[in-house]
Amino acid sequence: MEGNADASVRRNTKFAYMVNAPLIIYMMCVLAVPMIWGISLSFTNKTIGGGADFIGLKNYITLLQDKEYLNSLLNTVKFTFFSIAGKLVFGTLMALALNVKFRGRNIVRALLLIPWTLPNIVAVLNWRWIFAATGGIANYLLKGLHLIDQDLIWFGSAGLAMTTIIMANVWRGTPFFGISILGKLQTIPGDYYEAAAMDGANIFQRFWYVTLPEIKDVILLSMLMSTIWTINEFESVWLLTGGGPNGSTEVMNVFSYKTAMTSMQLGKGIAVSVLAMPVFMILIYFLSKKMLGEEETKRRKKA
Amino acid sequence: MKTKKSVAILSRLFIALCLVISLAPIYWMLNTSFKGQTEIYSRIPTLFPQDFTMESYQTLITGTAFLNGLKNSLLVAAVVSAFSLLVAYPAAYTLARIRFRGRQIFSRAILFTYLLPTSALYIPLYIFVARVGLTDNILGLMLIYPTFTLPYVSWILIPHIASIPKDIEEAATVDGCSRLRIMYQIIFPLALPGIISTTIFAFAMCWGEYLYALVNVTKTSMQTFPLVIAGLIFGDMYPWGQLMAGAILACVPILIIYMFASGSLTGGATEGGVKM
Repeated sequence: MEGNADASVRRNTKFAYMVNAPLIIYMMCVLAVPMIWGISLSFTNKTIGGGADFIGLKNYITLLQDKEYLNSLLNTVKFTFFSIAGKLVFGTLMALALNVKFRGRNIVRALLLIPWTLPNIVAVLNWRWIFAATGGIANYLLKGLHLIDQDLIWFGSAGLAMTTIIMANVWRGTPFFGISILGKLQTIPGDYYEAAAMDGANIFQRFWYVTLPEIKDVILLSMLMSTIWTINEFESVWLLTGGGPNGSTEVMNVFSYKTAMTSMQLGKGIAVSVLAMPVFMILIYFLSKKMLGEEETKRRKKA
Repeated sequence: MKTKKSVAILSRLFIALCLVISLAPIYWMLNTSFKGQTEIYSRIPTLFPQDFTMESYQTLITGTAFLNGLKNSLLVAAVVSAFSLLVAYPAAYTLARIRFRGRQIFSRAILFTYLLPTSALYIPLYIFVARVGLTDNILGLMLIYPTFTLPYVSWILIPHIASIPKDIEEAATVDGCSRLRIMYQIIFPLALPGIISTTIFAFAMCWGEYLYALVNVTKTSMQTFPLVIAGLIFGDMYPWGQLMAGAILACVPILIIYMFASGSLTGGATEGGVKM
């Protein structure tokens, strides 16, 4: 019997690698090799169109002493923190509100998902227009509400520019949180709430003791996932503010793009990505643990 | 009972607010795209185009490379999503169904590459594309886009395949079906709804991709639509009418596909990040 099982695993293994050969070969050639090669180039002074001389850790050392780079890290942290907080709060509220049954709920859910489905460039240009200094509707509305007397130059001052890129990010990312959390909310059995209500729990207590423990995991997953995406954000910042004014919204990827593509210092640009790797690795580690863990329990339940 | 009613009212108000915040910007884009130059900059913005005009669309289509950009985006997205499905489906199938040596490492590697952000890779891929001589060519984009679509499609398809009852396969094995036939002729059609929604999402990822395209393609004739639209901006000059018209035209295909796939839509989006 045991020999039989061994033989079947061997057959399976052969089959699996045969059908997966294209994928594995592609990922090796187009992902793994360029990446390893790229990392090795971060120890050189490689420029666009130029040669690459080994310079050891010089790229890393200059980066760590570069005020613009350190500032870009700080901006990334700020941008990511406030964006995630916004998406989490609005997404959770959206999910809770959608979890109350009403007519037309499916259509509303599909409509609320639209910002998430739009190509990023579309969302970005849209916000750029809304906040435009001349003709922008944001200034007009705020003046109409008497919140401001003079047009704000949204992309001209540090605080406002940061606010606009965060708003654009929250607008586009909230549906992801909302729909993910809603999916979990809909699996919570109604008797949990009935039992809690019977025990005299008010609505906040019910949220705290019944809902929250159930949606904790999906919130964590969404946050980890969204954090990776938000740190990775480039085009919305590049096209909304270009990193300005005065570098106040220059996030890590804008700095990396400027270094690698505008100043043509590819080696140094890669060093920026390599320095960010530990953060991504930690996030990916926790995410994988959660996602693979769920996979296993699901399988065990089924078996 | 009283709290129940106020919760219902509050939640509806909040939903209404969400709808306004989500859709008003999109309406504003549509509205602007049908206005003439002077009306766009009028001191008091108009809620409807007073002088309805297709001028912006006309200029965009006849005076810029926008249509060519759409064509390039369509080509890249179609080729890459079809290729991704073809190459990633076996990975999803084997991971969902077969016990083989190295399975764990394989599934971890796929998850890792799925989560790996594109910004970590754009410079190495830029050097790679230049090395193989495909800079300034949509073939270069077709070559590198699967680095993010392949892991995505593989990973997202696994639960769709795993949810198909095993008995079907066992019966087929007893009937003497080969592994390949089971994979393609039996399981593939059963997993089709999931396959379609996943492929749509892969298509959408390529459709709007900006960074890789920006870095690798500068020649106008080879640019995808995000680059063409962004290229309409000259310094501080934003031709808002054309930009909004372009944005609308670029959304239309995506929105149509989503509406059609509406049933599998919500599931697909959730799984886009979180598997449950």
